[in-house]
Amino acid sequence: MPRVEVNEQACTGCGVCVDTCPTDVLRLDPQEKAFAAYPADCQGCFVCQWDCAYGAIRVVVNG
Amino acid sequence: MAVRLETDVLVIGGGIAGAFAAYRAREAGARVLLVDRSYFGRSGCSALASGVYPAYMPGDDKDAWMRAFGGPLVNQPLVAKSLPVMHEHVLLMDRWGVNWVKEGRKIVRMGAPGRSFANGVWMAEGGPQMMMAVRSGVVGSGVEVLNRVALTELLTSDGRLPTAGRVVGAAGFHTRTGEIHEIAAKATVVCTGPYKFPYPWPGSTLGYMPIDLSGDGIAMMMRAGAELSRLELGGINLNPDNALSAPGLESLMPSGAKWVDQDGRRFLEDYDPKRMEMTQRALLYFAIAHQKELGRVPSMDLREVSPERMQLIRRVIPIVVNNQEAMVGDLTEKPVPYTYQVAGTSGIFGAGARVTERGETTVPGLYAAGTCTDMTYLPGGNLPFCSVTGDWTGRAVGAAVESVEPPQPPAQQVERVTAQILEPLQRRDGVAFEPVHRRLGEMLMEKVGLVLHADRLDAALAELRDIREHEVPLLVAHNPHELAKVWGLTQYLQVLEATLRAYRYRTESRVAFIREDYPVIDNVNWVKMVVVKQQNGALRLWDEPLPESWHDPHPVRPTQNLHLVFRNQEAPHAAR
Repeated sequence: MPRVEVNEQACTGCGVCVDTCPTDVLRLDPQEKAFAAYPADCQGCFVCQWDCAYGAIRVVVNG
Repeated sequence: MAVRLETDVLVIGGGIAGAFAAYRAREAGARVLLVDRSYFGRSGCSALASGVYPAYMPGDDKDAWMRAFGGPLVNQPLVAKSLPVMHEHVLLMDRWGVNWVKEGRKIVRMGAPGRSFANGVWMAEGGPQMMMAVRSGVVGSGVEVLNRVALTELLTSDGRLPTAGRVVGAAGFHTRTGEIHEIAAKATVVCTGPYKFPYPWPGSTLGYMPIDLSGDGIAMMMRAGAELSRLELGGINLNPDNALSAPGLESLMPSGAKWVDQDGRRFLEDYDPKRMEMTQRALLYFAIAHQKELGRVPSMDLREVSPERMQLIRRVIPIVVNNQEAMVGDLTEKPVPYTYQVAGTSGIFGAGARVTERGETTVPGLYAAGTCTDMTYLPGGNLPFCSVTGDWTGRAVGAAVESVEPPQPPAQQVERVTAQILEPLQRRDGVAFEPVHRRLGEMLMEKVGLVLHADRLDAALAELRDIREHEVPLLVAHNPHELAKVWGLTQYLQVLEATLRAYRYRTESRVAFIREDYPVIDNVNWVKMVVVKQQNGALRLWDEPLPESWHDPHPVRPTQNLHLVFRNQEAPHAAR
């Protein structure tokens, strides 16, 4: 299963990934950091990683 | 409280077909609302495109184009007419900021499998950048956008499904807030793309239910009474092993990638020794599938791709490369078994609503464009044919709505649909989404698979009926996000039933539609369309000859007569 990893130090809480995730996996937590609220629905498409201007998101496909 | 909106043109779906439909309708002066279940520019196939937009350019040999996109089931005059529009679209997208691969200021084109000429315009930053630039162009033209709204039912002037009147809009819900949305529209354009079931199978990165790509638009059109066609030929992505799902071939093959088996042998020698990897797509797909059937492991060998070209490929198909490398490591070190089910959806043939070239379905007020229609049945040309059919549909709709009175969706129908949408949220005891999803995936793997057979299809249809009758009515959602999944699955099952019935109906094999019990491509009896329509609560299927005007001016290509040799060990027939 693909997995989204967020580097909390790099995440600025801009919410772009929350807007654009095709399968609506991501939300901002109370500290305004992105997290996978619906991890089972990640399709491993890398769109969040592509869209994050701060390099804060990594999609891990294997492992 | 329900959100009530009113517009001239409602476009459902924000891929490239929806984008061009919305843009052209707006340009014609209509008020346009584009609704996307996900996010316009990120949903569906277009953003995950394989980095190549095949495009005609002035001066090209039109006959070569016709041969490349030909075949007996293709509407040839339509292809001819679309060629100059592709060129127009490349230039328009260039103005919108799509980053095409260029030499200096000149847009360059690359070769592709099965083409005798270079026809592919490459995206220097892949599908994601292309769609964001397209989005900017469309939004800049004044198209209104509504994201995260899943429309689940078309509304009709007589309040009935199927309708004897016309489509007057659609209803659905916001996938985060759960708010009901009711949209009245003079014309509705469905551009929801294809449908695809990602399997939780070993080696696949996908283990999810498509919140995207569930065929919801096709299901809605079917319930409204629209005739569907080509389901048996376009729904190939139901097959988990199908090489047609292998994204990236358009750019990898002309870059020096090789197909080898587990012993390093270039197996295309058995199929097309002259052209090898640059063979026709149909034969390439067949060869890969056939090797798998023989127990071989078709693998991609990129060791001879130059470092400069590999660098470009990483930019053009970032998603494909990322996925592959995440699973198997550096792609240039050794041949790797190719994973078809990486995210991305190349190789889809259009299947869905029967439409005219103006995008008109068989139901008044309802239009469709792109891969949820039967107009884009063209191997390897999905993106341009989606943008072109979107363009034509948008122009036609923009002109048509001028003479249409503002619609009034019947209150009773809206009330009924609203209640239906919310039902899964109100159930306390019922069936969870995951086990039903898993059961369906296992059923498709076991009973449908790559090579079809009437007995297995009948068993699949029986199990499908069981799921639809006993599990779907009990599906439970705890929040709007889950509601989107429940509705995705519900719609998908309806399209799936229609597709399996169409599989059963066509008693031949053709390109990637492979039947063990009818292994011969039959151009005598099956140069026909299979049509599906929902009538009196049941599916009715029939076949029709192709319209006279579609006739192929070119002789049938040799591979169209290939005799399939699945399930025995004979040497494959080479295409000559």
